[in-house]
Amino acid sequence: MWLPIFGLILGVMLGLLTDIRIPDEYSNYLSIAVLAALDTLLGGMRAYLQNLYDEKVFVSGFFFNIILAASLAFLGVHLGVDLYLAAVFAFGVRLFQNIAVIRRILLSKWSKSPEKNL
Amino acid sequence: MTARKVLIGRGTSEMKVKSKHFVLSLIGLVLGFMIAFSYNLTKDKIEQPKLSNKSWDRDFQLRENLVEQEEKTRKLQKELFSRQEEVTSMEKQLSKEAHNYSEITKEMDKYRMYLGKVKVKGKGLEVTLADGDYNSSGDVNNYIVHEQHIFKVVNELYASGAQAVAINGQRLTRQSYIVCNGPVITIDGTQHPAPFVVSAIGDPDVLEAAVNISGGVMEQLVNENIIFSVEKMEEIIMEPVLGSK
Repeated sequence: MWLPIFGLILGVMLGLLTDIRIPDEYSNYLSIAVLAALDTLLGGMRAYLQNLYDEKVFVSGFFFNIILAASLAFLGVHLGVDLYLAAVFAFGVRLFQNIAVIRRILLSKWSKSPEKNL
Repeated sequence: MTARKVLIGRGTSEMKVKSKHFVLSLIGLVLGFMIAFSYNLTKDKIEQPKLSNKSWDRDFQLRENLVEQEEKTRKLQKELFSRQEEVTSMEKQLSKEAHNYSEITKEMDKYRMYLGKVKVKGKGLEVTLADGDYNSSGDVNNYIVHEQHIFKVVNELYASGAQAVAINGQRLTRQSYIVCNGPVITIDGTQHPAPFVVSAIGDPDVLEAAVNISGGVMEQLVNENIIFSVEKMEEIIMEPVLGSK
């Protein structure tokens, strides 16, 4: 249970400690990738809470979404169209939907469990 | 996400749990790294632009100033060039004028010399006319120097290129008059007694030759019992004619 959290902390440490400089125009891709990653993570959480969780789907979705979002932004930059907005929009909407679903599930669980306990 | 129901219960094998945790931790690692990296990057980016923005502003301002100054400089330079040209032309004109003036002054000097307004100096000839010895026979008038004798000498000297003539040190001008007045001669109102020294500035050789020419002035004057002597002078100084005489 603690291993994923430890991994997260390690990742944050690594990210803060690395002194790699990437050109400014690539930072857009990174933010999109972060958004995609967050979206996938929340999706995974929702799926887990809904008992729909599939590890393969989750892991492949995680990396594939990151790459897709980054390449979409890349394509957008090279076509002169702000395609990364599409990714931002899509991921943002899904992010909120996922959060809403998670909240509802948690709320229902929380409201159910006290009844059980009582 | 397609709904593919997979139940991962607590009862699954330990292997599966471990691999699941491993994968999850890997994902956590990647996510954490990305977030932290992005955060770092954005922080730098936010900090940097502020600085560069300021410096850019300043740069822009300075550049604009520079451009303005350069334009001003160019304008001023143009003006300077045109002014310089003006000055050059003025100088040329001035030098021309100065040249003219110097020419004029030279001419004026020359004319002044001719007019006897300035002191003149030069080589020349001195002719001395003295009354002849009167041996108490005949008319005394035949033995003294008369105005026409002086006229002859003066005219001869002028004719042979004398630039200035003076009698007994008094300059003759174009308006001078010579009047015979008994034993004395009046030149421009000043009386001069004999002997009369007619000095002339000019080429001494030419003047002498002109005076001594046979049948010329000297012979005539000598025939009229006048003591005539000629002397070449290295330097004759003539005082200017004073006033409006």
